[in-house]
Amino acid sequence: MSTKPAHILSRTVATGCWLLSIGLLSPMQMHAQTPTPLQTTISLNDLSAFRNPGGGSVGKNWQIASDATADLTKNNALTSKPGTGILINLPTDQQKANLLSVLEHGDIDFEVDYLMAKGSNSGIYLQGRYEIQLMDSWGQKTARIGDNGSIYQRWDDSRPEGQKGYEGHAARQNASKAPGLWQRLFISFQAPRFDANGRKIENAKIIRIDLNGVTIHENVELTGPTRGPLKNDEVARGPLLIQGDHGPVAFRTMRYTTYDKPRPELTNLSYSVYAGQFDKENALGQAPPESKGPSTRLTAGVTVNPNNFLIRYTGTLNIKEAGDYAFNVFGAGGYTALKINNKTVLPWSNSNRRQAATVSLAAGETPVELVYSKLMPRATASLGLSLQGSGLREFLIGDNLADGGFNNNGPILINAPTNTILRSFMDVPNENGQGRRMRVTHAISVGNADQLHYTYDLDNGYLVQVWRGQFLDATPMWNSRGDGSSRPTGMVQRMGVPKLMLNRLATTQTAWAADTSGSGFKPEGYALDENDLPTFLYTAFGASVQDVIRVLDNAGGVQRDLIITNPGANLYARLAEGSSIEALADGSYLIDGKSYYIRLNNAGAVKPLIRPAGNRQELLVPVSSGKISYSILF
Amino acid sequence: MNAIHKLLLSTCLVSASLTAVQAQESPKEEDFFRILRVPAPEGTLLEVGGLTVLPNGDLGIGTRRGDVFLVENPTSRRPFFRKFASGLHEILGLAYKDGALYCAQRGELTKLIDNNKDGKADLLKTIFAWPLSGHYHEYSFGPKIAPDGTFFVSGNVAFGDEEWWAGESRVPWRGWVMHITEDGKMEPWATGVRSPCGLGMIDGELFYSDNQGDWIGSGGVWHLKKGAWVGHPAGLKWSGMANSPIKLTQQQLYAKIDPRKRRDEQGRAIKPENVADETAIPLYSLKDQFPELQLPAVWLPHGIFGISNSEIIPIPQGSFGPFSGQVLVGDQGQSKIMRVFMEKINGEYQGAAFDFRAGFQSGVLRMAFANDGSLFVGETNRGWGSAGEATEGLQRLVWNEKMPFEMKTVKAMPDGFEVEFTLPVDRKSAEDLASYSVSSFIYKYHPVYGSPPINRETNTIKGVKVSADGLKARVIVDNLRRYHIHEIRLDGLRSTDGSYSLVHPLAYYTLNNIPDGQKLAMSEVSTFSSEAKATEATSTAPAAPSATKKPATGAVKAGVKTGASARPGAPKGSAVAKAPTYEEVKGLLAKHTCLACHQANKRQVGPGYVEVAQRGYTNEQIVQLIYNPKPQNWPDYATEMPPMPQVPKADALKIAAWINSLAAEKR
Repeated sequence: MSTKPAHILSRTVATGCWLLSIGLLSPMQMHAQTPTPLQTTISLNDLSAFRNPGGGSVGKNWQIASDATADLTKNNALTSKPGTGILINLPTDQQKANLLSVLEHGDIDFEVDYLMAKGSNSGIYLQGRYEIQLMDSWGQKTARIGDNGSIYQRWDDSRPEGQKGYEGHAARQNASKAPGLWQRLFISFQAPRFDANGRKIENAKIIRIDLNGVTIHENVELTGPTRGPLKNDEVARGPLLIQGDHGPVAFRTMRYTTYDKPRPELTNLSYSVYAGQFDKENALGQAPPESKGPSTRLTAGVTVNPNNFLIRYTGTLNIKEAGDYAFNVFGAGGYTALKINNKTVLPWSNSNRRQAATVSLAAGETPVELVYSKLMPRATASLGLSLQGSGLREFLIGDNLADGGFNNNGPILINAPTNTILRSFMDVPNENGQGRRMRVTHAISVGNADQLHYTYDLDNGYLVQVWRGQFLDATPMWNSRGDGSSRPTGMVQRMGVPKLMLNRLATTQTAWAADTSGSGFKPEGYALDENDLPTFLYTAFGASVQDVIRVLDNAGGVQRDLIITNPGANLYARLAEGSSIEALADGSYLIDGKSYYIRLNNAGAVKPLIRPAGNRQELLVPVSSGKISYSILF
Repeated sequence: MNAIHKLLLSTCLVSASLTAVQAQESPKEEDFFRILRVPAPEGTLLEVGGLTVLPNGDLGIGTRRGDVFLVENPTSRRPFFRKFASGLHEILGLAYKDGALYCAQRGELTKLIDNNKDGKADLLKTIFAWPLSGHYHEYSFGPKIAPDGTFFVSGNVAFGDEEWWAGESRVPWRGWVMHITEDGKMEPWATGVRSPCGLGMIDGELFYSDNQGDWIGSGGVWHLKKGAWVGHPAGLKWSGMANSPIKLTQQQLYAKIDPRKRRDEQGRAIKPENVADETAIPLYSLKDQFPELQLPAVWLPHGIFGISNSEIIPIPQGSFGPFSGQVLVGDQGQSKIMRVFMEKINGEYQGAAFDFRAGFQSGVLRMAFANDGSLFVGETNRGWGSAGEATEGLQRLVWNEKMPFEMKTVKAMPDGFEVEFTLPVDRKSAEDLASYSVSSFIYKYHPVYGSPPINRETNTIKGVKVSADGLKARVIVDNLRRYHIHEIRLDGLRSTDGSYSLVHPLAYYTLNNIPDGQKLAMSEVSTFSSEAKATEATSTAPAAPSATKKPATGAVKAGVKTGASARPGAPKGSAVAKAPTYEEVKGLLAKHTCLACHQANKRQVGPGYVEVAQRGYTNEQIVQLIYNPKPQNWPDYATEMPPMPQVPKADALKIAAWINSLAAEKR
């Protein structure tokens, strides 16, 4: 095949060519994919950021601690370590108060890490009224409205029995982790709007919720308070309420950004449309406009031409509060430019990859001039101006750009209604989690109807990642030329940078090999059983290995069994590596800052070894017995 | 005028012109070779990467999506599809041996074994896994099975991060062909390959096809002996490894030929562009210095005989009538199949290429002969574009047992060529020197993407001797040049029966060696030429082709859409009308192979001309872009356009004017 490399794209962008698939990403999408760092941290060194719903001091069930550990075998068991940094709820029959934030919020982005006890239940009520459920939903195949991350149902006692609970919104998938593991919840919330008479004119809205990195809600309207609110009314501002009466839960790193500033308005718009191909800023010259007039809104729809036109808009931006505002202009398939106060803010360029530009503006009226030249026939004409600032969430004035591009191929999603295998390249974060990702070139992903999946590196006999929820997105591999890779679409637990699973170590101090050289590693493929489940086969260090990874019956993780023929002396398996490895009383291990558990199934037979590896730790077991069996719970 | 009226009008025009030419029509390829579908269950996505026929006649299909299907009764009305395996990594080859299927995935050669005989593979055994860097272009092709049961697999090069135009071998053995045994031993076999999508075993020998790209002036068919280097430098990176059969290093090569790795003042790499007025170095000129160099047995001139050559397959005895024993070569971009006849001169293969059959629904990637002698054609074009616009397909090519009037073979002679025909030629036309024209050219060997044809010279026809049975014409050709591609046009030839012209009057013979032997005496040949008596136009124009069939080539396709009749409202004498019409440039577009990649209105391999028009280039700018294309302006397209300085400026300007006239039309 005669070819041109795909990364010509990035190069072309760098040189400012406008042809790059303009409009592939709408600004809203781009924003959605990279939440800006949240600005304010709620201190969990004491309880001063919180108050009691009924007044008085915070309930005794709420404490500050340095750590929290759950017990996978015991309901509602959570133990804490003295210290600071973590907020923990240890309710008793007597002490089970809810908790309010001192913060009263309207529009807010809120992010928190939390950890559930087994079987526990809690919730975060936005404005004390709209509950995002926190729940031990470990092992659930799909998410219901009572499951972790779901928007809880509303309640009406006047309705007939069985219909009192209504609405609610289940998470798109169960992206939960096991009890005792830290989970991350990100909520982007828009408060209800009221008119001058206090009448609600717009429902509250969940703009987005991510649970453990997976988007589980987008644009969900909240028609009113969910069950058990602080009060049954709706308000412009209210406190966060954390449910304390249902079960033990711990929180850390609470961060938020509030958005309280009024949106500037773009008014007094008028447009001129010029016909022709204008690919340079000054190509317009003195040509007379084809049409002109006032416009009630910013849109590319003032011309019926699909292509080869330039629109110049002028208008007035009414800034209600002085401050720094970041602007960007998006015009599908062409060039845009923006002037504010007659000064160039965004120079003429392809708007697709442009950084927003920030301008300091005083309150009052400011003239705006906006130019859009459309040249790419395949793009749908659309024009938008995005604006954000301190206290102002990014918003878009203009056309909905979602269909402005020309990447019309839908995502190629792969479900796993039965045991499903797919080989592809698989990208994983590199050693330090920064910069270029590393590509596993001989990866194989195995999906399961229990919605528990994993990726295995056939080059190293390494379990790359396990995940819960939806299976794979193969768009990167199969759309157009593709790049050979697919990516998981559920809640992923990575296992670090792939290295040999087995290694012969001269001493227990010998570093784990970075690659397979000298190992004689030779992949032999895999055998499928009657359920199409694979047993991976390879030889290394003179030993033959059968590697069997199966989903646990409760779908709480996977069990892995390695059978090693002719292991020889000093052969070790590296079961895990992470920033920390904690040995638990029951013989299991908590890996990488409570990210997942490892439990040895033949614990009596082998002596595990926790050892440092640089600034991280490794969990090794000798394999002289020729058999290793352990589970990964997450 | 609304669209329906326009359509009706142009349809009327077409049918009117039909009646006028019907009297003289010559049969076309579709009159002999029919393209049939292979009915597959709805929703079966067949982006075919591998195709093989099992001894029992079942058809094995490997797809880009990683599925392997086994099809029972594949030539029947209701073939039965069984999914034999799934989840494999972009399969680009499939073969059968001793009860098992073998396929190349991106990263390994895999044996698919059905131990429990339930019709589904239950052991996916890695025969040999090779390293990859993970670059998207690191496709792997094969296997082809040698007579001794060993395997050949080939691997594409990656491209540079900064030097995105430069094929590079990031890990062993990219840019190589590997020879692998059943027990998983690999010996590096040959290198210099860039995009070796087509492997073929012919008489137990390995051949491969490549496509135009950096260092590769045009596609072609190479005989791939162990230790051969075929021209791309990337794979030479590993010639120092102990098991490399090739010792030539990149340094040794670059000492003789400048790879033109330059940087600008900012330190950025500069993409090498075609230098118009240079003393060009053709690949063959390196042969003396680098004995490892293996030249193409048959060049397949880019844009004419494909733009992305694929599978090579010998035609088995008993199939396709006169052509059995010859070789077919697929092409993805042009969705067609070429035919190649090879002969061995001085111990090396060389031969002639002909067009064979176009009009497949997607890019032709794989071929396999059915047990009934028909040809399965496996197709895909995803991301590259092809003349057949579907993204996938499985079709079947069937000969209707009627004899096409074709050049069966072209053989090199000490003093020219001998053309053998499938049917007797009309002696009058065959003994007329004006029926023949020959010219020769070669390509550059340089780090630029593709090459214009260079050093073109006319070869005078001195005489012709037609055999008594009218099946052979031996032509004395002046100025034969070793290693050069000889373009042989037989536009004036007619058959005895029906006075038809050849279905394909054009052949390209790669003259790597000029055979010794008896030359013809001038006394035994005809030297008559009608050229003096008639105008060139009437004497050499092929008999008018049939227009009754659906047009199969890009040229006709474009014509239907943008011919003058498509805009009957355009006033004569207006500014728009001054630009040449499609009718006026279509000959130029065909002659200069523009239509290999472009259509007027639609994206194909390259952008539609309308889209080019909308860039607002001046005519002069378009001419410059023909001579030195800027693929970076079209990141949306996978295939680079080669520089085409061979297009005369007057022609280029005319084409440019026509292109620009489309902008006004579209708006």
